[in-house]
Amino acid sequence: MFKELDPLLHAQLRLAVMSLLMQVTSAEFTDIKEKTNCTAGNLSVQLDKLSAAGYIAVEKSFKGKKPLTTCSITKKGIKAFEDYVNTLKQYIHNR
Amino acid sequence: MKPDDEALTTKQSLAIITEMINLTKGNIRNNSVYFLLWGSVIALANLSMFALLMAHYPRPYIVWIIVIPAWLLTLYLAYRHRRKHRMATHLDRINMWMWLCFGVVIFTLVAFGKAVNYQLNPIILLVSALPTLLSGVIIKFRPLIVGGICFWICGALSFVLGSPWQPLLGALAVTVGYIIPGILLRIKKEA
Repeated sequence: MFKELDPLLHAQLRLAVMSLLMQVTSAEFTDIKEKTNCTAGNLSVQLDKLSAAGYIAVEKSFKGKKPLTTCSITKKGIKAFEDYVNTLKQYIHNR
Repeated sequence: MKPDDEALTTKQSLAIITEMINLTKGNIRNNSVYFLLWGSVIALANLSMFALLMAHYPRPYIVWIIVIPAWLLTLYLAYRHRRKHRMATHLDRINMWMWLCFGVVIFTLVAFGKAVNYQLNPIILLVSALPTLLSGVIIKFRPLIVGGICFWICGALSFVLGSPWQPLLGALAVTVGYIIPGILLRIKKEA
């Protein structure tokens, strides 16, 4: 019996964001936008969804006079990502 | 990246994860400039010291003053790098702390050189083996691993060969340990 893939992670942009945040200590909004090659509006919506689920922590501050949004993965996010990858492995091995 | 939440196949999911890993893994490889800078500076200092020793100059160690501008340049490059590459991976962080600890150990050794009868060359070479080899392991780059082993061998040989030949061994160690891997990293990055 296959475990269901986490629908929150099983989406292109959210999965890309989580894969990126798994490897870095933290990342600024502009860096994530640049690496994932998406629009600011779309990224903002997806970050809100991940943050609401407790998968990422979003910190808003200022760098000089410019607003700065920094994201980092939470323990819950790490667990969700690991579970997602393990389920993905099951799908691939049993194909 | 597509704006919608369309369902992914397992193949697409794997491709996204792999792509994001590849995008961040190049960070440490960008550090070739530090290997080239310190390799050149230390090789030059060692060769100059050897020449001054051969010329019976009373204070051959004066050449090591060259490391002061090298440190300033390193701090400037690190500051510039940090502004350009704001994202630090967990491995970047480990690597940075490892080299920082190495710098503190070298500084302490130089400060207490008298306590080890100024046998600094072999000790510094032996200590240099550690971060060089581990950097190679972290980025899976064999020339740095070989460089680390070369530091260890040259350090041990320095104990055996003694004073006039130690700077030559030092120059050889940094050439194999820093300069060659630095050049190869640069070639690999540009390829």
